[in-house]
Amino acid sequence: MTKRRSDKSENPRGGSPLDFTKHDDGINDPKLVLEEPLFGGVLGTELTRRTLLKVGALAAFSGAAALSSRKGWADKKFDPVVRVGYLPITDAAALLVAHEMGFFKKEGLDSERPTLVRGWSEIVEAFQAHKFNLVHLLNPIPVWMRYNNKFPVKITAWDHTNGSALVVGAHTGITSFKDFGGKQLAVPYWYSNHNIIAQMLLREAGITPVIRPQDAKLGPKECNLLVLAPPDMPPALAARKIDAYIVAEPFNALGEIKAGAKMLRFTGDVWKGHPCCVVAMHEADVMDPARAAWTQGVHNAIVEAQLYMAANRKATAQLLSKDGKNYLPFPFEVIDRAMNFYDPAYYKNPLAIKHVEWHQSRINFQAWPYESATKVVTEELKKVVLTGDRAFMDKLSPDFVAKDLVNYGFIRKSLEKNPKWRDDLSVPQKGDPYTRVEVIEV
Amino acid sequence: MSTSATATVNDTPRLMKSTGQGLFNFVTGLTILFVLWWIGIQLISSSPATAYFASFGPVPALRAMVAMWQSGLIQSAVWASGSRLGAGLLIAIAIGVPIGILMGRIQIFRELSNSPFQLMRMISPLSWEPIAVIVFAGWDSAIIFLIAIAAVWPVMFATAAGLAKVDPNWFKVARNLGASRRHMLTQIIVPAITFDVLTGIRLALGVAWIVLVPAEFFGVTSGLGYSIEDAREGLNYDQLMAMVLVIGAIGYLLDSFFVQLIKRYSWHRQT
Amino acid sequence: MSAVAAPTGSFTSLCRKILGVRRLFCGFIGLVAFFAIWELGTLLLGLNPATRTFVTFGPIPTLEAFPVLWGEGKIQAAVAASGYRMGMGMLIAIAIGVPIGIVMGRSKRFREMSNSAFQFLRMISPLAWMPLAVIVYPEWDQAIVFLIAIAAVWPIVFATAAGLSKIDPAWFKVARNLGAKTMHMLTQVILPAIAFDVLTGIRLALGVAWIVLVPAELLGVTSGLGYAIKDARETLSYNHLTVMVLVIGLIGWFLDSICVALIKRYSWHHRGHN
Repeated sequence: MTKRRSDKSENPRGGSPLDFTKHDDGINDPKLVLEEPLFGGVLGTELTRRTLLKVGALAAFSGAAALSSRKGWADKKFDPVVRVGYLPITDAAALLVAHEMGFFKKEGLDSERPTLVRGWSEIVEAFQAHKFNLVHLLNPIPVWMRYNNKFPVKITAWDHTNGSALVVGAHTGITSFKDFGGKQLAVPYWYSNHNIIAQMLLREAGITPVIRPQDAKLGPKECNLLVLAPPDMPPALAARKIDAYIVAEPFNALGEIKAGAKMLRFTGDVWKGHPCCVVAMHEADVMDPARAAWTQGVHNAIVEAQLYMAANRKATAQLLSKDGKNYLPFPFEVIDRAMNFYDPAYYKNPLAIKHVEWHQSRINFQAWPYESATKVVTEELKKVVLTGDRAFMDKLSPDFVAKDLVNYGFIRKSLEKNPKWRDDLSVPQKGDPYTRVEVIEV
Repeated sequence: MSTSATATVNDTPRLMKSTGQGLFNFVTGLTILFVLWWIGIQLISSSPATAYFASFGPVPALRAMVAMWQSGLIQSAVWASGSRLGAGLLIAIAIGVPIGILMGRIQIFRELSNSPFQLMRMISPLSWEPIAVIVFAGWDSAIIFLIAIAAVWPVMFATAAGLAKVDPNWFKVARNLGASRRHMLTQIIVPAITFDVLTGIRLALGVAWIVLVPAEFFGVTSGLGYSIEDAREGLNYDQLMAMVLVIGAIGYLLDSFFVQLIKRYSWHRQT
Repeated sequence: MSAVAAPTGSFTSLCRKILGVRRLFCGFIGLVAFFAIWELGTLLLGLNPATRTFVTFGPIPTLEAFPVLWGEGKIQAAVAASGYRMGMGMLIAIAIGVPIGIVMGRSKRFREMSNSAFQFLRMISPLAWMPLAVIVYPEWDQAIVFLIAIAAVWPIVFATAAGLSKIDPAWFKVARNLGAKTMHMLTQVILPAIAFDVLTGIRLALGVAWIVLVPAELLGVTSGLGYAIKDARETLSYNHLTVMVLVIGLIGWFLDSICVALIKRYSWHHRGHN
């Protein structure tokens, strides 16, 4: 049932509700979606979208539905070939498998072999330069792109859930988060769910996360954070430069196998079925009705890939590994462990899996981007310690971000076509599978 | 250089001795390096926590190199990186030499361009990465751009310096003898500056080598930098050191080649 | 160079002053042209809707961000942190490079034996040393200083050796005849003679070190110019990125100019005059 939009709309900037009938520009169309402060300040000016539409300029940035005289999505031309960019972590699996196992092709879409990029900055820049039209990004990155830089990006699905962990060095004797006072913890990226979760865990244990030079004195209840590229984490741990690190797989598995790291906690065991990497696309590809069929096909393929992976974990590990199609430069054993090894009996000391009853896996594959999770991420991003400029977040409300940043239409249709997605255990098994209450238990 | 046959015959044992000496030095120097390397890694991997890092050592590296050669990995990496490096250097020369000549010949141009060029020269080449991604459609072209932008400065300034050494009287004489601009260029300028240009190219090569590894962070699927990163990500340090050896060897060969060229065009030789 | 005494008086000094002003003026115009071309490029980016998001790379957003970052002390902190690492790296490179260069220059045997090993090590990309540096050095700063030093030492070694080879061997004979001990030989003969070349080597080393600094600061530190560039890139604050890049360029230029001035002072041509 469609809700009737009134002529008054909630003003996302706070203050009195926006009253469209007051405007004398003739645009009294209540169907015109205007609650987007993103465009309340295009290019740093105070131009509102109404003004822009009046002037008839920058119609390409429109997110509205039917304005038949609109010029089209000039900021991004339609590219019918699916071009995926990815980092060599297991988070990328859904997109890789979608290409490799021909799921894109089944949907009638042409796709190129996904392009390996070595860093988040590179993948973001390439995405912004339209070299890729389908990428996986760390959950907070699109928040920065859209609200700090006003870049038209949309999260359209989740790549996976869980799939990260925090390991400690064998030399540290750390058995719980209370032991992190005076220690050094490495995160892969400030703007990541890893940083968010790590700081959540520290705060729960009464430890304050700080960012200081390595040789600075730390209080007994302070833990120093730093950023390291994932491949540098295992050597740094072995060399005792850091005491722990939190990162996406397979670098935890690698640390366990090659650097004497001990698993302290799986992130999926702290925040049940949490997002980590999300599927991001250009707003033009998502909102332009002319491209809807293409976008729908992309999402169908992603969901089918995820279902395939859930049913064929070992085969997937083989496919992705160096011994297979060499998407991830790791041997099968590493990827197998990273994806599938989640034995509570093995991970007893320290107790890395406290919530056995959640029945999570080391990595889960489900795509529905829960609103509640997006809200948690937005809230936590305001609290988390990092070095970048975060002033723009003061104006963001979690509710708004959940509605504005994420697009639910396409992924919903794909999931409805494939009801088996509910079998994944990060999805609520009772009640409405499309809503959940975030369960965060340290 | 003696030309008589008798002198040549007498020279052979001396030549052989000096070649033998050179070879002995070459081998001994590298052997000592390997021994020091081996000792160093033994020390590093002595503690159980870092035992895995014994794979940094010379023996695992050589073994890995053999395996990588057999799988064709080294050849394809050398070819891919080599072509990017070559293209980047060629562009740097094609742009740097003419601009360097302009700088050397036209004083007003030199004075105007000095400040911006000096500023741009000191910008770390890797800061150009985001621009490279935006402007260039392909990954290879982005990498070639990064190499060229790093390599162009040594070439440009060396060319200008070379021109500054040319005796201005030569130009006067050439003009008096009726030389056209083109003659001036080909008969006077180019031979005079060859030594310096080659020195500049040698420097540019050194810089380009440094830039190559991080430049190949982009979306390519082969190359020396790519293989190093691959090895680094998988913690396969034996493969990493194998590639490091390959890079060192190739760099050495290329550099020696340029040294020979420079010696040939050296002014001291010609007198 | 000319046997005729240079004309003294106000005319010459006036000419010199005018030339100096002219050079400054041209330098200024050159920089203005640089900014103009940069702005042009940015406008082109802005015209194409596909690349409009990158206009923050332009000179105007950059100049706007400069006072903000300066006011927050971010530029100063980054310069201090990177300056320390660069300085230490260069000092170590000089402290190791000059003695080795002297030995290379004086001992033919050493030079021939070490040549292959040094040439080989020289061509290894400093960034390939990163994993090793992470393991060996207990502190991140030390690892970064190591990376800078290992990149900077080679130009200094080879320039020093080249400088030594230019010294007339007769000088050593004379010095020995006059009873000079090795210490005297070093301080009175060798060092003054090679100052020019060592400074040239230092200049080259500085250029290389600047290149290495940015990727070297990817190693676990949370301060410095390279880190600031990385953070700016990750937050997509491209105008902050260009501010830091300009700062690097300006400081590098400044240091290079100092080197050039020092080199001129120690130049043989200059010495001939005195």
